Amino acid sequence: MEKILTKKSFPNWIAKLATVQIYAPVVKDDLWSYEVVDAAGITTEYTNAIQSPKKIIFPQRELFLEFSHNDNGSPEIRELLPEDKESIIFGIRPCDAKGVSHMDKVFGGDFEDSYYWKRRNQVTLVGVGCNTPPSPNCFCTSVDGSPFSHEGLDVLLTDMGDNYYVQTFTKKGDKLVNMSKGLFAAPKPKEKADLESLHKDAETKLPRHLKDTKKIPPKLKGLFDSEIWDDESMSCIRCGICTYLCPTCHCFDISDEITSHSPLEGKRVRTWDNCQFPDFTMHSSGHNPRPDKASRLRQRIMHKFQYFVEIYNNYQCVGCGRCISKCPVGIDIIQVLEKVRDHV
Amino acid sequence: MVNLDDLKKEALNLLKDEKVKYIIGYTEGSNGTSAAPAFIKNPEDTDKLVWNPGCFHNLTRFLRDEKKRKAREKHPDERPVGIVVKGCDSRAINVLLQEKYIKRDDVFILGVSCESTGVIDEKKVAKKLKGKKAQKIEWDTNRNLVVTTEDGTTKIPADEVLAERCVECPVHSPVVYDIFFGDKIKRTTDAQFKSVEKIENLSQKEKWDFWKKQFDKCIRCYACRSVCPMCYCDECVVDTISFAVTADTTAEEKAQRIKWIEKSPTPSETFIYHIIRAIHLAGRCIDCGECERVCPLDIPIRFLNKKLEKEAKSLFDYEVGFDPDQLSLVSSFKDEDPEDFIR
Repeated sequence: MEKILTKKSFPNWIAKLATVQIYAPVVKDDLWSYEVVDAAGITTEYTNAIQSPKKIIFPQRELFLEFSHNDNGSPEIRELLPEDKESIIFGIRPCDAKGVSHMDKVFGGDFEDSYYWKRRNQVTLVGVGCNTPPSPNCFCTSVDGSPFSHEGLDVLLTDMGDNYYVQTFTKKGDKLVNMSKGLFAAPKPKEKADLESLHKDAETKLPRHLKDTKKIPPKLKGLFDSEIWDDESMSCIRCGICTYLCPTCHCFDISDEITSHSPLEGKRVRTWDNCQFPDFTMHSSGHNPRPDKASRLRQRIMHKFQYFVEIYNNYQCVGCGRCISKCPVGIDIIQVLEKVRDHV
Repeated sequence: MVNLDDLKKEALNLLKDEKVKYIIGYTEGSNGTSAAPAFIKNPEDTDKLVWNPGCFHNLTRFLRDEKKRKAREKHPDERPVGIVVKGCDSRAINVLLQEKYIKRDDVFILGVSCESTGVIDEKKVAKKLKGKKAQKIEWDTNRNLVVTTEDGTTKIPADEVLAERCVECPVHSPVVYDIFFGDKIKRTTDAQFKSVEKIENLSQKEKWDFWKKQFDKCIRCYACRSVCPMCYCDECVVDTISFAVTADTTAEEKAQRIKWIEKSPTPSETFIYHIIRAIHLAGRCIDCGECERVCPLDIPIRFLNKKLEKEAKSLFDYEVGFDPDQLSLVSSFKDEDPEDFIR
């Protein structure tokens, strides 16, 4: 459905929504971060958060189960699912929401990840589109996205000056609007036209571009053994910033954290893992098929622009620009991809 | 003033005469104010070299990669690597020499003076620019940062945008080099440990609350470890496999390996990581500040290193990175060393 909400009524709507837990961007030590907030702390004026809200649905540490020896010496295992708690992520950017929809593909399909879906099903995504690009390295339109894409979103808000143009795309989204029906009005034809032109206009404001992105996946196929990876990774320091800040990276590790050896007690946990780390894909023999930083950069690029495309027919990159903005040595994924595209 | 053309010319000659394998320097970055490390092999690429207030990276960190690459080669090229260093970076070279990690012949050092300024703190500049992207930054002769954006140029006094480590820097120009660029200005500072006093003056509880809040932000990307020129261990306690596995290592040994630290970003594990990192740098850190600069969550971890640097100086009169022949802090003692803190 499509509705108009005046900015005056906005706080009233938020107050209604606040019956459940709300995550929204707040400033924490000069950085925007998605945190649990009360209704008064919500704003739609913010730049890109340092981390995407991925961390809410796919936390860096997820408890799977706890195990122990009971008094008789027999093992006991208890499953630990995430708690029942409905929540709203308010103010997610369209690129980050698209990242969530990519993760849905990975954790769904033939094998449903119960931990992921327990969290995912309890959260409603309310997006705020980008009238102006929130980062100097935004390039969503180059990877099939847009500043007002609604992929993955339940609700999308567009700032029209005095009003918000509210679009809902799912039943979950409808529910949020229906909670305070009286605050919303039907859009007039002029407002619809304004919305379209505003969306079109926003697409022309992107600060970064990657041309001919579709040429990249077939090109990558022939570049597995190319020298390009050595050259492009020379300055890489092998930290995990690019992938830990990425709204689509989803690799994880599972380990047992022993808290007591006698009697045995511990937890099995899932933690984020990172293809840039030296022990990633290390075999138990000690051999690592990706022994150097060139092969790790290759993995990051190939996963996003070849393997994921082959499996899910999508780039596993939403153009948020975080990896570019925060790379300590200026490795720029757009420049790397341009070199791949133009490689002869 | 540092003349960039002189630097380019020297780099060109070094590569033309095949005196160095390649040159590690700075080039234009795509990311606003920051320069980017460059690895120049071809003489014609020396024109890409830059020297500007965004050259904050400590390039000596890449000597570790060079050493590893060389170890893998059957017939390694024994020529040195050319490397551009600032004052702080040059002290890192001295520590690497002191620890016998590199040999003096492994590097040809192009030392560049910071003169009366240093490098900028990107975050301070970003605040001043309020979202605008810098197209060019340079120092003028009156200690102002001249920033060019799409709206024209603005001048910002150096003291408002300099990296804190530059304000507290005791050297400002390379202490070891093969060729020197710029003016050898002698600048002294009485504020070498000023920033750390802010934390020292807190009560124990306030200190705990401060670090608890800071480390809660940590996502354990290990950028602070990875960027450090001194963090060159082959085996690091934070990696899950932190010991060498060979064909003879049994499954039992692998299963029984000591796990020093869990991957979970819980308070205990994150505290331990940061404390281990800091302690391992006692008497080795030269305060290039890279660990703090690269942190995506802005955790002020330089305080930890700075405190240890201060302790080393006040307790043992030990200063890091000035003399490649001095004994290391933690593996030497003098008769006059204080011992009243040992109980």
